[in-house]
Amino acid sequence: MTEMEEDNLPPPNSNLATAPKSHSEDEALQRKHSAMLERLSNLHQTRLAQKPNLELSTPSNESTQSFLNRFNESKLAVDSKLSGISQMIPDGDSSDPGSVKSELDSVVVLISNLEKLVAESSYFLPSYEVRTCLKTISDLKQQLDDVTSQVIPKKKFSFRNKKKGGPVSNPARSDVVDSVVVKPVIGIANVGLSGSLESSNGFRAKENEVLVREFQRDSGIGEFSISELNGCVVKLKGCLRALFVNKLRDCKVYVGPVLGSVLIEEVEGCVFVLASHQIRIHSAKRCDFYLRVRSRPIIEDCNEVRFAPYCLKYNGIEKDLETANLSEETGYWSNVDDFKWLRAVQSPNWTVLPEKERIEMVDISVFENVNVL
Amino acid sequence: MGLLSIIRKIKRKEKEMRILMVGLDNSGKTTIVMKINGEDTSIISPTLGFNIKTISYQKYTLNIWDVGGQKTIRSYWRNYFEQTDGLVWVVDSSDLRRLDDCKYELHNLLKEERLSGASLLILANKQDIEGSLSPDEIAKVLDLEAMDNSRHWRIVGCSAYTGEGLLEGFDWLVQDIASRIYMLD
Repeated sequence: MTEMEEDNLPPPNSNLATAPKSHSEDEALQRKHSAMLERLSNLHQTRLAQKPNLELSTPSNESTQSFLNRFNESKLAVDSKLSGISQMIPDGDSSDPGSVKSELDSVVVLISNLEKLVAESSYFLPSYEVRTCLKTISDLKQQLDDVTSQVIPKKKFSFRNKKKGGPVSNPARSDVVDSVVVKPVIGIANVGLSGSLESSNGFRAKENEVLVREFQRDSGIGEFSISELNGCVVKLKGCLRALFVNKLRDCKVYVGPVLGSVLIEEVEGCVFVLASHQIRIHSAKRCDFYLRVRSRPIIEDCNEVRFAPYCLKYNGIEKDLETANLSEETGYWSNVDDFKWLRAVQSPNWTVLPEKERIEMVDISVFENVNVL
Repeated sequence: MGLLSIIRKIKRKEKEMRILMVGLDNSGKTTIVMKINGEDTSIISPTLGFNIKTISYQKYTLNIWDVGGQKTIRSYWRNYFEQTDGLVWVVDSSDLRRLDDCKYELHNLLKEERLSGASLLILANKQDIEGSLSPDEIAKVLDLEAMDNSRHWRIVGCSAYTGEGLLEGFDWLVQDIASRIYMLD
C-alpha cells in the first residue's frame, strides 16, 4: 500500500527517491521508481518547452517587456553617446568642433527615434510605462541641452580642465551655467541701452519737477514711458499710442487720450488722469485714478486704490478724444476687475472715489511753472 | 506623446488644429485673434480667464485658445497644454522694460513636456508703434537660437492694430503643423 501511495505522489525532490530500501522487493521497486522519475522529468521538460512557446505566440512587438528592452537599449545608446560627447570637451582643442556638432545631431536623431518608438507602442503600453518613458525622454533632452550648452560656449570661456561628474569639477560646472545665463542678460542690457530705453520717449529718474510734453498730431508718437519719478507733476498733451508707467511715488500724472493701452506698475500715493482703450494697474498703493476707458480697467496686487471719471481739459482735447474714439463716457471707470479678487462681492482693494473728495477738472492748456508738492 | 500621436491622426481626418495663444498681459493676444477673425478690435477688455475661437483657415479648422496673461492667472496656463498642436507666443515689442519677464515666462513654458511637440510661432506684436524692437532684436533678447535643434519655431513681426504680418505668421504655423501631422504616418 505504501508503495502505491508513493507512486501516485510527485516526488518533492530527488533525494527521497534515492532513499535506500532494505526490502526483498528492492529491485522491482527501484525500477518502478526510476520509471516514474523519468515520466515526471519528461513532463517537466514539456512544460518548460511550452513556456517559451507561449511567449512566442503573442507578437513580440506588442509585449511590454520587449518594448522596455528596446527602449532601454536605445536609452543606453543615447546615454553613452552623450557621455562620450561630454568627455570630448575637456580635450578642448584636440576635438574637431564639426564632429562634436554631428555627434550632437545624431543624438537628436536617436532621441526622436526613441520618441517615435514610444508613440508607436503607446496603444498597448500601460499608461504608467508611457509616462515613465516620456519622463525618461524629457530627461534625455535635458541632458542633451546641458551637454550642448557645455560644448557651445566652450570657445568664449575656457574650462579646459573641467571633468564631467567628478566632485572637483563642481565649481567649473557652475561656471558654465553662470556664463550661459549671464550672456543673454548682457544682451538685454545692450539692446536696452543702444536701443530705445535710453533714447526712447519718456521721463525717467526725476525728483520734484514739472515734466511736460505736447505731441503733435502728425508726428506719429509711439510709446511713451514714465518711470522712477518722485514728487513730480507730469502733463502730456495730444494723442499717443501706448503709455508705460513704472515706479512712481507721490506724483500727479495728467495724460491726453491713449489709442492703445496703458500699463501702470509699482506706484504709490499718486493721482492719475487718463483716457485709454485699455488700462492695467499692477502693484499700486493709495492711488486715485480718474479714467475714461473703452474696456474694463483691471487691477492686480493693488491696495487702497480709488476710481473716478476722467476730468482733463486742454485746448483741442475734444478733437483728440474723437481721434482716439474716446469722446464718449463709457462708464467703465467704475467697472474694475481685480485679478486678486475673483468673486462676486466687491473687492476690498478698490473703491469708487466719493464725489466730494474728487479733484476739480484739471486744465493743462498752459504749461506754466507749477510749484511742486 | 504616444496618445497625442493617435489623437493627431484622428484630428488629421477632421483637419482640426488646436492652437494655444499665450504671452504676457498687454501683449495683444485677444486683439490678434479678433483681428484674424475679422471682428471689431476697438473694445477689448483685459482677458479674465480665456476665450476660445473656432476659425476656418485655408482647409483647416483652427481651435484657438486665447488665455489671459495677467501674472495671477499665468499659473493656470498649464491647464490648456494638453493636445496643443501649435503655440503662439505674443510679445509686446514696445514694452522694453518687461522683456526680461517675457523671456523668463517663455523659457519656463517651453520646458513643459506636453508642449514639446508643438510648433512655436512668436509674434513680435505692435511693430506699428514707434520705438518698438524689430523681430530680429526680439529674437536675440529672448535667446531663441538656443532651441534651434529641438523645435519648429519662427518669429514674425506683426501689428494687431493694422493686421500686418498676422497672416504670414499663421500661414507658417498652419503649414508646419500640417506637415508634422502628415509625417507621423
